[in-house]
Amino acid sequence: MSEGLSRRSFIKLAATAGAAAAVPGCEPAARHLIPYVVPDENVIPGMPTFYASVCTECPAGCGIVARVREGRAIKLEGNPADPISDGSICARGQAGLQELYNPDRLSRPQRRGQGGAFTAASWDEAIKNFNDRLAAAAKAGKDRVAFISGPLGPTQTKIARLWLAAYGSGRMVTYERLADHAARAASKTCFGRDDLPFYRIDKADALISFGADFLSTWGSPVEYHRQYAQFRTPRERRGQLSLARATYVGPAMTMTAAKCDEWIAVSPGDEAAIALSVLSVLLKQGWVSSKSGVDVDALRKLTADFEVATVAQRTGVPADAITRMAESFGQSESAVALAGTDDPVLHNAVAILNAVTGNVGKTVIFADGGPEPVSSPQEIEALVKAMAGSEIDVLVVAGGNPVYSMPAGQKFNEALAKVGFVVWMGTVPDETAAAAHLQLPTDHPLETWHDTHPRAGVRGLGQPVMQRVYDTKPLGDLLLASARAGGAKTEQAPWEGQADAVNATWQELGAKAGGKFDDFWEKARRDGGYFEEVRPAAVSLDSKVFGATAPAERPASPLTLVAAPHIFFYDGRGANKPWLQEIPEPLAQVVWDSWVQIHPNTARGLGVSPNGIVELTTAAGSIAASALFSEHIRPGVVAVPTGQGHTAYGRYANGKGANVLSVLPGWERAVAVKARPTGDVRKLVTVLYGDSQMERGIVQTISIDDLAKGIVPPSDEPKPPQPYEFYAPFEYPKHKWGMTVDANACTGCSACVAACYAENNLNVVGKDYVDRGRVMSWIRVERYFPPKDKADEAPLMQVAPMLCQQCDRAPCEPVCPVFASAHTNEGLNQQIYNRCVGTRYCNNNCPYKVRRFNWSLPEWDEPLHLQLNPDVAVRGAGVMEKCSFCIQRITHAEITALIEKRPVRDGEIQPACVQACPSKAMTFGDENDPQSAMMQRRVKNKVRRYLVLEEINVGPNVTYLRDIYQTKGKA
Amino acid sequence: MAAAVKDINLDPTFADIDRSVRAILNPPGIAYWLWIAFLVALTLLGAGLWTNQIYNGLQVTGLGDPVMWAVYITNFVFWVGIAHSGTLISAILYLFRTRWRTAVYRAAETMTIFAVATAGLFPVIHLGRPWFFYWLAPYPNERYLQPDFRSPLTWDFFAISTYLTISALFWFTGLVPDVANVREVATGWRKRMYTILALGWQGSDRQWRHFSMAYLLLAGLATPLVLSVHSVVSWDFAMAQLPGWHSTIFAPYFVAGAIFSGVALVLTLLIPMRWIMGIEDLITPWHLDNLAKVVLLTSLIISYSYAVESFVTWYSHDPIEQMTFHMRYFGPWGWMFWVMVACNCVIPLALFSPRIRTSPVPLFIVTIFVNIGMWFERFVIIAGSLATNFEPSQWRFWHPSFTEMGITVGAFAWFLLLFSLFARYMPVISMTELKEGIVWLKQALRQGYADAA
Repeated sequence: MSEGLSRRSFIKLAATAGAAAAVPGCEPAARHLIPYVVPDENVIPGMPTFYASVCTECPAGCGIVARVREGRAIKLEGNPADPISDGSICARGQAGLQELYNPDRLSRPQRRGQGGAFTAASWDEAIKNFNDRLAAAAKAGKDRVAFISGPLGPTQTKIARLWLAAYGSGRMVTYERLADHAARAASKTCFGRDDLPFYRIDKADALISFGADFLSTWGSPVEYHRQYAQFRTPRERRGQLSLARATYVGPAMTMTAAKCDEWIAVSPGDEAAIALSVLSVLLKQGWVSSKSGVDVDALRKLTADFEVATVAQRTGVPADAITRMAESFGQSESAVALAGTDDPVLHNAVAILNAVTGNVGKTVIFADGGPEPVSSPQEIEALVKAMAGSEIDVLVVAGGNPVYSMPAGQKFNEALAKVGFVVWMGTVPDETAAAAHLQLPTDHPLETWHDTHPRAGVRGLGQPVMQRVYDTKPLGDLLLASARAGGAKTEQAPWEGQADAVNATWQELGAKAGGKFDDFWEKARRDGGYFEEVRPAAVSLDSKVFGATAPAERPASPLTLVAAPHIFFYDGRGANKPWLQEIPEPLAQVVWDSWVQIHPNTARGLGVSPNGIVELTTAAGSIAASALFSEHIRPGVVAVPTGQGHTAYGRYANGKGANVLSVLPGWERAVAVKARPTGDVRKLVTVLYGDSQMERGIVQTISIDDLAKGIVPPSDEPKPPQPYEFYAPFEYPKHKWGMTVDANACTGCSACVAACYAENNLNVVGKDYVDRGRVMSWIRVERYFPPKDKADEAPLMQVAPMLCQQCDRAPCEPVCPVFASAHTNEGLNQQIYNRCVGTRYCNNNCPYKVRRFNWSLPEWDEPLHLQLNPDVAVRGAGVMEKCSFCIQRITHAEITALIEKRPVRDGEIQPACVQACPSKAMTFGDENDPQSAMMQRRVKNKVRRYLVLEEINVGPNVTYLRDIYQTKGKA
Repeated sequence: MAAAVKDINLDPTFADIDRSVRAILNPPGIAYWLWIAFLVALTLLGAGLWTNQIYNGLQVTGLGDPVMWAVYITNFVFWVGIAHSGTLISAILYLFRTRWRTAVYRAAETMTIFAVATAGLFPVIHLGRPWFFYWLAPYPNERYLQPDFRSPLTWDFFAISTYLTISALFWFTGLVPDVANVREVATGWRKRMYTILALGWQGSDRQWRHFSMAYLLLAGLATPLVLSVHSVVSWDFAMAQLPGWHSTIFAPYFVAGAIFSGVALVLTLLIPMRWIMGIEDLITPWHLDNLAKVVLLTSLIISYSYAVESFVTWYSHDPIEQMTFHMRYFGPWGWMFWVMVACNCVIPLALFSPRIRTSPVPLFIVTIFVNIGMWFERFVIIAGSLATNFEPSQWRFWHPSFTEMGITVGAFAWFLLLFSLFARYMPVISMTELKEGIVWLKQALRQGYADAA
């Protein structure tokens, strides 16, 4: 290998090698996983193989690389070749493995027998049953078969269509509960387009988000994390170092809001009025781009009722806050406004904002050749109506879990009961599966060929990375076989199975791309897809939209419920993954539960106490969850996270919290609600003691003005000579590993935490043990809020990851009587599990409290244990453990370098957390190499660097960079 | 001291003493066996819970991050502290020729041995992997590893084992003439047991000479241990950098506290014992008075220590340290601190009254409070400081568990069981020294310098 090979290209190369090894993966499934009786020459025991694939945990469609050891996928990593993930993936993506190995996964077909209980059936029986019912339905008439699924990607969609056609039906619904239907409608009204734009936040100098929580679930979170980190990197503007200004408008302080300069608390639905008043300021100041060719008079008329003073008075938002954000928006070279609520008027207003300031095409990009849209609410409603009218004989549900997530007003359960035969296909049975007549287990995306089309120019390709865990079949195989049984002719369904069909789809793509198909196909498999630069489509604002952009009068409601998409559970699909349940939600820091976020003032009025159960009753029903007191929500609003409250979604999801989607009458996520304390108390379990860091400088901050002046905060003044050292300092002849963590980039998304769980075989302990302080995470997100009296001179939230600081003078080392905690000559504090007797003194003496003790013997519900990383020892009860900087990765790289007779290259080693971080907040490297990217990051940010708890002089090797804020009240 | 001298029972002859002490060793009645059965049951409860804990891991306790040390280490420090007074009374006061020690020192010394035996269990009980406890000992092993001598836990291991060895030798040496004494009148298996334990003591001149020298030497060796052992135990905490632990005052503060709690426990044990065993003429209010004065003095010392600790924290201007102390006073566990202040600083002030010092019942009540207060003191320092550490996000307060409480109760039962067995089967009062004391006093009175007593 040549000099300068980065880890990125290493993975690419490894994936190439892996592509050949993937061939056995697409052969018919073996009945059991058998380790190498006849060794595969491409697989060296002990060496990982990397396969590129695509994540299907959310619609963003990040490219991933699966690390496979001895035939089992043990870790998902971002695909460096993929333009969306760029080598990073979020916590939900990491947890995809826990779907693959979920102990509640359906392992064989099941049929509902007499009395409603499910009994196992053979594939032959199940398929015969399925095809017989389909044949009967097709005989009964046209359109009596229907198909509901989540976004399946081009090939599977094609197959599903073909299958439906074979049975004389066209009723296909792509159901995505939290899809941005309003945004799609606005694209149509404003720009006459059917697709959604994508955004270049990194190209903007100012940002306003109206309820778009893009650092959590909105849009493509991994991509937007990366873009936002670039957006927030201080840049020279007009000769002065400045920070791009971000404002969030919404009822609650979401993760995105917490990383903005300003959070403007509004009542749900008032966002549109604020957007229009921003527009009025732009008009008044003459900042509306002349190029946009907009009808300024019409615009004036539109905004006439939305003067800042009027809107401020009507919404209770300070006028100067509106002016400030409008000024920063209007004065910027390029800016972006985002809309994330389900209010169509807001989406129109935001589209106008972007268009009239000339940002469409710059930061808001429409491109031709985008993916097929998900079904609109009207299409979904039409199907449900047909079901309720007994017009459907056979319904196949392959994703989306409509029983759980459909708006209550649709009465989906009742409609489902009218369907003669309901077939569920999927991995882990959910509420919809429980209501089905036949359950057919399908492959996890990591077990089969599939493809995705997240946006124009990005085609993802997923290949099987391992043999099947259970006796499952690809969805496409099932549907194709069924289509043939239903009389589909060979020319309609020319493919053997899903693998063939994917190949055929890519033949078409390859033909478009030109060149030899074999080369194209190999590159696609290696890169995990086919990516091309897209040119922004020329779009223009349709002036007719001005007429459709008047906020309707809303009936005043004393209390509004907002269903807030949970960063890990999303529409509920994440709740069956123990990692996602155990990792604290970054803002609330609550685990294994739902909560009702409520302002203390609102709570007082209702007689609600902290942790007291609140019953929320809407027009559609009621749910109950514990109250979480929070200053970060507008009074008069309560927010409940989505995704919990499952009744039949496996052992990890059932009976946890409440399902807020079940009380939403329609598609809107903000509804009027009545709240009542039940008098019961259920403690919300959190890993966090309090919100204040007590001015201990754990997450430090600096204002952009001080940064521009280069004022080094007092703690960074020249240090007095080192104090007398009792023990001789260690020597680090070769490497000295260290890390640089940028608190300005960190959003608290916890991808690092999930990556650590996956990489280092961390055990999930459950709610009760989390409450007792027995959580095992080696890295955690420290989330604090500034004290109220200092809020002007601080960011809204102070957040940074906390992991072992690998101190030079580590307090954990000398206190261990048995040398279980020892220092390496590469600067690591290593924990030697076999030596540990469990005095726990090391943890007592650790100022950062990053050591974890095994209070019990770690256990994994089978087959979750198949995910365990064989390079990392599984610890027994009674020993201490902690972050090792992923010593297994360091050692792997060092041995590789030794074999190849070369030094270890900078960037070759990436601990799991560093690799996962979507905003690239962490860099790992060698402190002995001043040219390493990690050291350079420290050097280039001299003013921002700090050490946590520096005054205790333990010599940490993790250097943090201060979070940057703009002084409040300044534009 | 003239008043005190009057209280001394000058009447008993050597034969009286022999008779009184030997009477204790008569076969006990049903009440004694019920008491023993009760203690055995509680000890077995503790042992059962410990077995369960070894089997299931420390998950059965209430421990968690960051309070990784709580009740077990509190018990350890508490019992090590208790152990101190025995050596103080038997060795230091011996060297100072303090006459009032003769009647009480054997009980105190016995308490020391059993307290160390109890204390020594806890570092093993609290380990994550107790089956490897011997890895703390330096011995040639296949791992080519010796314990890390930088670790205060290693110091602890040596301090405690040294202390146990010296105390046991000292205690046993003192016992030899008395065991020989009871051997003379014992019958049956007791006779055999005493014969073996008496090591062939004949009471010859030569033996007495050797005995006195050995006893003096061991007293000399034991004396520095009184100061060193609890200093070392205190360094378990002071050597760590945790706010609330990292303090130079800890060694003297812990030693004073140890003597305070130890002497209080001696009183707690002696007062019922002298009543049950009918040896009120041997252990007189004069003895109680002197012990109570030690309690009072050490109470004042630790009150001063509390004050200094708080003052230094305030004076240091270290906000983190200050916050730890703020939480100690007013946090969720603040009540424990105030219980501790009431029991250790306020209630012992009653001992300024000579009436209370010489009345067994009020004195007994005061010492019970002292025991409670000192247990809480250790808990407040150990667990309370851990709970309010450097990382505000990681604060968490411990919740008691049945296992920890059960093992604690079991340990008290185990200690009382050993002590009760000893008190009925071995001479719990040193006949030898009591007789020496009478000889000395009579001589002293004759020579007219009784005030020296």
